Amino acid sequence: MNNQLMRVSAVAELLHAGRPLAIAGPESALDQLPAGPWIGGTIPYFMTDAGGCIVQDDRVFVTDLATFGQEVNFACLSSDELERISGDAPDNGVALAILPAGSATHQRFASEAASYPDAFVKPTVGWISGVHLGDLGRVTPKVYDGREARKHEDRAVVAHIRLPADQLALVEIVNLFEPEEGDVLHFDETRFEVGECSVNGERVRLSDYITSRGLEHGRQPLIGDFAGAKVNVSLQSVDTAQGRVHLYAPVFPGVDYRFAKPQPDYAEHFRSEIAGRDTSGAAWSCNCILNFVFGELEGKRIGGLSGPVTFGEIGYQLLNQTMVTLRVV
Amino acid sequence: MAIPTPTHPCWQRLASGALSRMQTQHLGTQFLIKNMERSKDPLPDKAQAIRAYFTKWERLLAHEIQQLAKL
Repeated sequence: MNNQLMRVSAVAELLHAGRPLAIAGPESALDQLPAGPWIGGTIPYFMTDAGGCIVQDDRVFVTDLATFGQEVNFACLSSDELERISGDAPDNGVALAILPAGSATHQRFASEAASYPDAFVKPTVGWISGVHLGDLGRVTPKVYDGREARKHEDRAVVAHIRLPADQLALVEIVNLFEPEEGDVLHFDETRFEVGECSVNGERVRLSDYITSRGLEHGRQPLIGDFAGAKVNVSLQSVDTAQGRVHLYAPVFPGVDYRFAKPQPDYAEHFRSEIAGRDTSGAAWSCNCILNFVFGELEGKRIGGLSGPVTFGEIGYQLLNQTMVTLRVV
Repeated sequence: MAIPTPTHPCWQRLASGALSRMQTQHLGTQFLIKNMERSKDPLPDKAQAIRAYFTKWERLLAHEIQQLAKL
């Protein structure tokens, strides 16, 4: 059994047996796990076969990396060592990384990931750890280096997974959003916090543009066009008094951005998108907390692989409001 | 279709901007294309990175590899 919620007592047995695991769960549950071959991150939200759920007991979500990897090595990296996420991955392998939301590690990875060594030859998937939304501002997201059963607020934990020689890691995304056909936005710098930008070549305060269009609710992300790949950047807050917009991922210069069209039915749209896809070799997945909240996914099934619902998704680079899936094919 | 040889002129063309004309639905390739567009690395470095990329993913990228020498 893989990619499922389990009691910590059952997970401890797997760890004692030497199974290499990636684990997501509430901090109180992760704190109970013994030292062993695992990495983890805090989050209480999950998509499962039974639907979206919030876990506040001693269950954690477990991915057994030995089910698709031949060899797994773990690392715990500072913000100055993040290029090792892809750099230390095996030649025929994949890195699974977990970083804590709001940390310097998170911010640096988001800005730099595409420039890391072999970033596109040795793919990275992963997620940004978070907290129960009721604990925002009171509790900090954590990641765990299971080798020492130690938690961190500002480091990246990574599983470097070597695949069989005849298999490859295929990273895919499900992004429900489509860009509007109108205004094109450009940004001068790689930033999570934006003052001015250009809209169709005209300099404006982004906060003014957003409020003039009534988009400050944050349900419609910006979508960057990365050679046809739709990369969402979600709005965290819009401060019209200060003229600042805070984002959940950075915008980049040299990329065309448009706001997304509204999304009327997340669950149905996910179901139809996932049902039409090849899911052979599915090994790991995550989805976004904003999809969970805005799409009211608690108790709803969307199909596809189960996984944590996160404060940011990683498919080569940081993504927002996106489902990421790793297939080994 | 095989990957063009390391000395094939397509790699320089691709590194000089032709890669942006590639048609692909593969996420990693889309990110590579955008990264190459934004990169200020020397052309030989970009050409080598592009070739290493397609060599690694040859089995999954038949449609893209067919385009390499034509762009």
